[in-house]
Amino acid sequence: MSIDRSELQDAARKAFGEAGLAPDAEKSWGLIAEMGWLMMAVPEELGGLGLGREAEGVIHTEIGRALVPGPVIAQMLVISALNEATDLPERDDLLTRAMGGEVMTASLGVADALSAVPNADLASHILVARDNLVTLQPMDAPTIVFTQRATWDETRRLFDVTIGDASGALILAKGEAAAALADKLKAQMLFALAGDSLGGAGAILELTIEYLQTRRQFDRPLAMFQALKHRVADLKTILNAADALFWARANEVPMLTEIGALKAHACRVFADVSEEAIQLHGGIGLTSEYHCHLFLKRAVLNSALGGDADHWEEQAGKHALGKII
Amino acid sequence: MTDALESFRQEVRDWLAANAPTDWREADTHPRFVESQRAWFKKLVAGGYAVPHWPAKWPGGGRSLAEQKVIYEEIARADTPRLLLSFVSTYHAFSTIEECGGEAHKARYLAAILEGETWCQGFSEPNAGSDLAALKTKAELKGDVYVVNGQKVWSTMAQYADKCLLLVRTSSDGPKQAGLTYLLMDMKAPGVTVRPIHQITGDEEFAEIFLDNVEVPASERVGEEGKGWAVAQSTLASERGLTLMELSYRMRGSLSRIATLIRQNGREDDAGILRDFGRLVTRVDTSCAIADQFLQNRMNGIEAVGDASIVKLTYSRVLREYSLLGVRLGGLAEQYRAPIIFGDLNSGNWMADFMNSYAWTIAGGSDEVQRNIISERMLEMPREPKSWAVAEGAA
Repeated sequence: MSIDRSELQDAARKAFGEAGLAPDAEKSWGLIAEMGWLMMAVPEELGGLGLGREAEGVIHTEIGRALVPGPVIAQMLVISALNEATDLPERDDLLTRAMGGEVMTASLGVADALSAVPNADLASHILVARDNLVTLQPMDAPTIVFTQRATWDETRRLFDVTIGDASGALILAKGEAAAALADKLKAQMLFALAGDSLGGAGAILELTIEYLQTRRQFDRPLAMFQALKHRVADLKTILNAADALFWARANEVPMLTEIGALKAHACRVFADVSEEAIQLHGGIGLTSEYHCHLFLKRAVLNSALGGDADHWEEQAGKHALGKII
Repeated sequence: MTDALESFRQEVRDWLAANAPTDWREADTHPRFVESQRAWFKKLVAGGYAVPHWPAKWPGGGRSLAEQKVIYEEIARADTPRLLLSFVSTYHAFSTIEECGGEAHKARYLAAILEGETWCQGFSEPNAGSDLAALKTKAELKGDVYVVNGQKVWSTMAQYADKCLLLVRTSSDGPKQAGLTYLLMDMKAPGVTVRPIHQITGDEEFAEIFLDNVEVPASERVGEEGKGWAVAQSTLASERGLTLMELSYRMRGSLSRIATLIRQNGREDDAGILRDFGRLVTRVDTSCAIADQFLQNRMNGIEAVGDASIVKLTYSRVLREYSLLGVRLGGLAEQYRAPIIFGDLNSGNWMADFMNSYAWTIAGGSDEVQRNIISERMLEMPREPKSWAVAEGAA
């Protein structure tokens, strides 16, 4: 099934737009579940919407635009994994609960340790994806310990989790199937982070242009100075080009390394635009009540989640070298 | 990728295996280069691959975007020369005449392009570069001919061109854009003198055109008198947008040159180099993706002001990054002069390619002009005061 991207985009922008930037976490989560955005990629016969990666891309870019807090990316990973776990008897029940908004989380970190786990304190389950085993671990197991980490990015709540006795875990995939699923989930996470980053970059660029139009120095709006206009034009250019690649990849079946390279690039664009935004705002960009820092911190966090640019660009280079004869 | 597209790719590949020129790199003089360009263009026309971007009524035209991409990628991968000589003919001249020309112009000029007639562009002048609308080459209507006097510069391959897309001034009243008129000039007309420009690469790809009482029939005017600026925008939009899909996919096909250099230098396990290469590959992909998106939007009739500028700015920056990585990997060896290969932006002579990349950041509207268009017309940031005298007054 194909979607009308702009229709979904309008709906999401309208829904998130009302609450302003970095809206209330609980309300946002309710909204996301209510709008059916968590069930985007689940087939219709399982109660989902049967839409593809492009539709998920729309949701992630809009969430990034509004700096929506919450564990959406992790939740979507759990839902995808459940979707594939056809042998699990509890699958349909868990899937329905997850699509309805019962928090189930996953690590957005890089190592096998369960780091950077969003909203672990609110989650009923945590996804554990290894190369030979993918499980869903109930969070009420007595040996589970979770510790919240104070993040610079205040729009996300991240935890370290240790499970201890994993005997109560539900097995979603084993062996080769697990390896394939783990790769698929990784690609999904990287694509989501890329979308979140490009959405955020677009929003802070627009806010910066608005500010330059309003702020007057030397008897004219800052937006009239060519030195500033050209910097803005460069940002708009890298953003649009990255956006074009993001939507192109949404409709292809790219290699994991290509998605990784896209994520690295999108995060760099987000970080570049956010850094320039602070500089172009001047002193006010350094104040906590102004929104610039929220974007910069989310950009830098996104860069670190799911493997950084050093990792993915090296992988992409290696892959391209192997492919090009 | 669909099976139909894959079999089309194979078809193009097979055709190229049988027809691609192999000796073009040996063309060490311009006359030999021009000869090889004409022969290759003729073959491509006969094979149906010369003008995939033209409408379907033309032989080889009407290709889908996906097919066009396949053709450009395969043509680059087969290590064939870029069609520099017919570049302005098949893009700029075609788009301008197709979009703005009269029926007589279309009948006279379009088929002739496929038969090998070549065009150059007479827009820039010594004192009208980025400020193109300030051009002074004057045309006076006398009876049924325009008499043209002035000088044009930066005309690609003008020394070999049969015809010229000429932007002239027919009036000095009112805003400077309003006095411009667009003519189609015969380069063989009396009074036309061409002088090649020696470039930093050692090539003479560009030329100056001197116009001394050149007569251009009034029937060869495109659009109305005084409306030449709008017609010129059509030419420039074609240069900024349309051509760049071909060039982006050529660059993508030429990434193999960087890969070869990495292997030759034994740098396959050098993490730093792999990262730079991975980043470049992604950047080239963005250049392809934005050019694709531009063409798709254009076909759907939703092209917005500034879109073409973003395509050009992306390509020109990525081309610089591409050639610079080659220069860097080539090391000292690239600093020893090797014969330049005419007409290729991704030739593998890295210093020449690097210096050639400036043609794209300056020609066809410099990067700075594109930034003005993006910021002022797309993002609606306020324009600079009209002249410095006004700015002085305001201060």
